Amino acid sequence: MKVLPLRPEVKPGSASAPAAAMPMIEIDHVSQTFQTSGRQSHLAISDISLVIEDGAFVAILGPSGCGKSTLLYIVGGFVNPTEGVAKLKGTAITGPGPDRGPVFQEFALFPWKNVLGNVIYGLRQQGVPRAEAEAQGRRLIDMVGLKGFENFYPKELSGGMKQRVAIARTLAYRPAVLLMDEPFGALDAHTRTRLQNDLLNIWERDRKTVLFVTHSVDEAVFLSDKVVVMTRAPGRIKQIVEIDLPRPRRRAELLLDPRYQKYVVDIERLIDDTGIDELHP
Amino acid sequence: MIAPRAMLSKAAPLLAVAGLLGIWQVAALILNTDSFPSALDGIRAIPAILGDRGDLINILASLRRMAIGLSLAVMLAIPLGLMMGRSRAVASFFNPLLMVIYPVPKAALMPVIMLWLGVGDISKTLVIFLGVSLPIIYHSFQGAKAVEEKMLWSGAAMGMSAAQRMLRIVLPAALPEILTGCRTGLVLALITMVTSEMIARQSGAGNILFNALDMAQYDTVFAMIIIIGAMGIILDAAFERLRGRLVKWSEPRFDIPMSFA
Repeated sequence: MKVLPLRPEVKPGSASAPAAAMPMIEIDHVSQTFQTSGRQSHLAISDISLVIEDGAFVAILGPSGCGKSTLLYIVGGFVNPTEGVAKLKGTAITGPGPDRGPVFQEFALFPWKNVLGNVIYGLRQQGVPRAEAEAQGRRLIDMVGLKGFENFYPKELSGGMKQRVAIARTLAYRPAVLLMDEPFGALDAHTRTRLQNDLLNIWERDRKTVLFVTHSVDEAVFLSDKVVVMTRAPGRIKQIVEIDLPRPRRRAELLLDPRYQKYVVDIERLIDDTGIDELHP
Repeated sequence: MIAPRAMLSKAAPLLAVAGLLGIWQVAALILNTDSFPSALDGIRAIPAILGDRGDLINILASLRRMAIGLSLAVMLAIPLGLMMGRSRAVASFFNPLLMVIYPVPKAALMPVIMLWLGVGDISKTLVIFLGVSLPIIYHSFQGAKAVEEKMLWSGAAMGMSAAQRMLRIVLPAALPEILTGCRTGLVLALITMVTSEMIARQSGAGNILFNALDMAQYDTVFAMIIIIGAMGIILDAAFERLRGRLVKWSEPRFDIPMSFA
């Protein structure tokens, strides 16, 4: 296991080499305090600095309540940090925008639109003519494996299918960064595995920058180039682990790979430490 | 070939109505007083009312006031309710006002309104408007408040402005709840309509009813009650059809209908 400094060097041969001078996302000493209902303030994340290169798949891993989603919302522009600044391609983030596409655990589909309507919603919003948007939408629906379900409404779909629609809906408007907030957290184990595989296949085609929040160690190691391990609340970065496994990754091969197994065990140990820190500060 | 079960569920409402009329008929024959005409007498008086030009004009005038009052309420109450549901500031400004108005029977305002605006159409339409607004505001408010934050975030990430999100996410997402409010509003409009005409006796369906009462034409009184009730049922059923079409995406697959639609 290689423990990296907070600003890792660019990997040779990575797709991001030309953009090396300008990282995709810079999180600079960001803290977030929330006012709770009892007029108390709750420090969700504390002094987080992180640099994410263009085209990297980065997982943020931590126990529930460690503020990992908050960090994602700050990059999304949905929440403004109390302190510090988050930047996208060098520009401070002040609000949401189509350059950052979120995918939420709750799917957040528009229930009054059918599958096609959901997928083309962002394109229509950006003024793409209907015929063109629909053609693109159908291609995406095919890509996420939902061909034939174009006219189904969200209530008629299973959880896994809903999340496929949500992913297609976000990919449709071509964000530079995908922000995935425990996207497979509400799915059963089998569906979860299938969606992980499909997500990797899709990602390996165009290598968008992905920020992926999860509390599953397996998922983080399987998907990512880099795993950011966070401590319990208030969330700080405990360690950043670079996952040096070859791509394209195949689950069946990886599960038998001792390197994969070592990453999982080492990171689980790191998280255990986090728990013990909490009990014996 | 219709399955017996399906036939029974189709016939059930008709059986219920027939049963009710039967009980009425028997009760009226047993009591045998002038002030309680039998069901047949009541039904027999209906064609006379519907055949009378003056009465028809009266009923249409009622319906017109009801339609205007209801439309005005829908146009104002839905945007207000939605804004209250999404903005704490708007909600805390309007909430006390609405809480004061809420328990007041709107017909009780009729004397004051008549004093200022006369006994004509404006007063009655205003009372209908007041009676209908609150449930529509309340349901729009509830609907807007319940819209998932992440749905709005998804819209914001697509580049939608706050106004666009209100119109293209909050409004459709809250529509099932808004239409529930409108359905209550529709029936309340009918009730307030008749009540307003009882107080300001100048024209309308309520006026026919109470004139008949004054003249001891009890069969006309009951015929008028049947007509008003039928108007309510028809309007509600028509509205339920429309609602079902608009929010088909939100209905559970197996539903027990609570309407004649």
